[in-house]
Amino acid sequence: MSFKVLKPGVQATLQAAPRSGTRHLGVPASGPADGLSMALANRLVGNPSDACAIEMPFGLVSLEASTDCAIAFAGAPAVIELAGNNAPMHRTLYIRAGETVSVGAAEIGARFYMAVSGGFLADDFLGSASTCLPAMVGGLRGRALQAGDCLGTGEQEPSFDELETPENMLQAFTHAFALRCVDGPDAELIPGWESGQDYEATRRADRTGIEISGSWPPLTDAGLKPSAPVFPGTVQLTPSGNAFVLLPDSQTTGGYPHVLQVIRADRHLLGQIRPGDRIHFLKRTPDEAATDLRRKTAYFRDWLPDLSL
Amino acid sequence: MPAFHLFFLGDDAVAVQPNDRALRHPLAKALRDSGEWIDTVPGKEVVAVHFDPLALRPTEAMGKLEDWLSSFRAGAFEPGRPIDLHLDCSADHAPDLQTLADQNGLTPHTLLERVTGSELVVDMLGFTPGFAYVEGLDPTLKAERLAVPRQKVMAGAVGLVSGQLGFYGLTGPGGWPIIGRLTETLFDPERAAPFLLEEGQVVRLHLVDV
Repeated sequence: MSFKVLKPGVQATLQAAPRSGTRHLGVPASGPADGLSMALANRLVGNPSDACAIEMPFGLVSLEASTDCAIAFAGAPAVIELAGNNAPMHRTLYIRAGETVSVGAAEIGARFYMAVSGGFLADDFLGSASTCLPAMVGGLRGRALQAGDCLGTGEQEPSFDELETPENMLQAFTHAFALRCVDGPDAELIPGWESGQDYEATRRADRTGIEISGSWPPLTDAGLKPSAPVFPGTVQLTPSGNAFVLLPDSQTTGGYPHVLQVIRADRHLLGQIRPGDRIHFLKRTPDEAATDLRRKTAYFRDWLPDLSL
Repeated sequence: MPAFHLFFLGDDAVAVQPNDRALRHPLAKALRDSGEWIDTVPGKEVVAVHFDPLALRPTEAMGKLEDWLSSFRAGAFEPGRPIDLHLDCSADHAPDLQTLADQNGLTPHTLLERVTGSELVVDMLGFTPGFAYVEGLDPTLKAERLAVPRQKVMAGAVGLVSGQLGFYGLTGPGGWPIIGRLTETLFDPERAAPFLLEEGQVVRLHLVDV
């Protein structure tokens, strides 16, 4: 069972569960930039939430199936064309051998996920199949998809269940993001940041991080401290006057001041921020953030019992 | 008597800062060996542990760590085997060597002699796969990070900022002035042991003739 890549899109990668226990070696977790959308796509084809799927930034991917199988799309809204006909996102789709499925461009949101029954086969590196582009490991030889690639899939009998994502599980896509966050260890460098917030994602954005311009207070010194551990969701202020929020392929240690940390419950939103989108930060305490995570996970539990954000 | 300062790095990580920096490595090893944490990551001054706030509330995680630290006793830290590495300082591989030498009032050759004559030790890995922070550099050598980081630093490049060297494991962006490039491969995922270096390891640096 396999798919042939006809159009590779812009840096489409295979992603699965993130790595753990490797950050002290400088190896990031990787995994989906929007794990909730990937889980929703996997659910529709009977896979676990973190089964290996294709992450497609901005769409524009075309694939040809070599066998009959079930597929599904979730994430940023886009036009899907299956064997020449429009097909819905958020529904189990059946593709036959020789047929082509194409994803159009996203106008809002940044990433789509395509899941296949049985999941895609991928290289394992340190316990995870997720592609890490900076290190060129995991996924398909550690790189983004290219035209002509052949993507193997796991053996799984299609269940022939026609599933649809429940209405109340669909994420709303907008150009404005409210991100809940707690203080980083260097939060004292941005006193009063909550008032008069005006932040925007710039064009410098990929799976390692997104630059955020706007009303950051200027750094008084060189803005460097001894290299310290950082994680996805970490917001670092740089001497350029802009900040970066880190994503799954980010470095594991860094010397820029760590002023905020986007809470775990909202990190999946980072994967859908596109250049020009507005960003607003909402302050939480660590324990309030843990409650937010419990609430969000509980909300999805009936549909995605194994969801891990 | 070791003392520890604990603080949150968000809702799913806690940092421990020991009053003695040398405790970081035995502390990180013991925390990793405990199997209680998703990731245990040393920095230059702290050790961070990463946890799942669904399983453990942040204040519970901090309390658990405090309890654990009250009975922590650092064992002797075993230094890794020494390793010989070779540095190519030809012009293509050392774009900042002349500038750094000028800033320090030295010739490139005398600057490099002070580098290779230093008692170098791998302080920690981190940043990107294979990157090593190497300490022990002659403290008279002064250098600051570049005002504008380079978009592309080659794998194996050796950067120098005051007090330490940085060995780049991957080709990618980087902000340290570059004085040469190692002939050895620091990170190779195809190798049985992908990482050439380990923390605590003594590094003997040799200049190669080109």
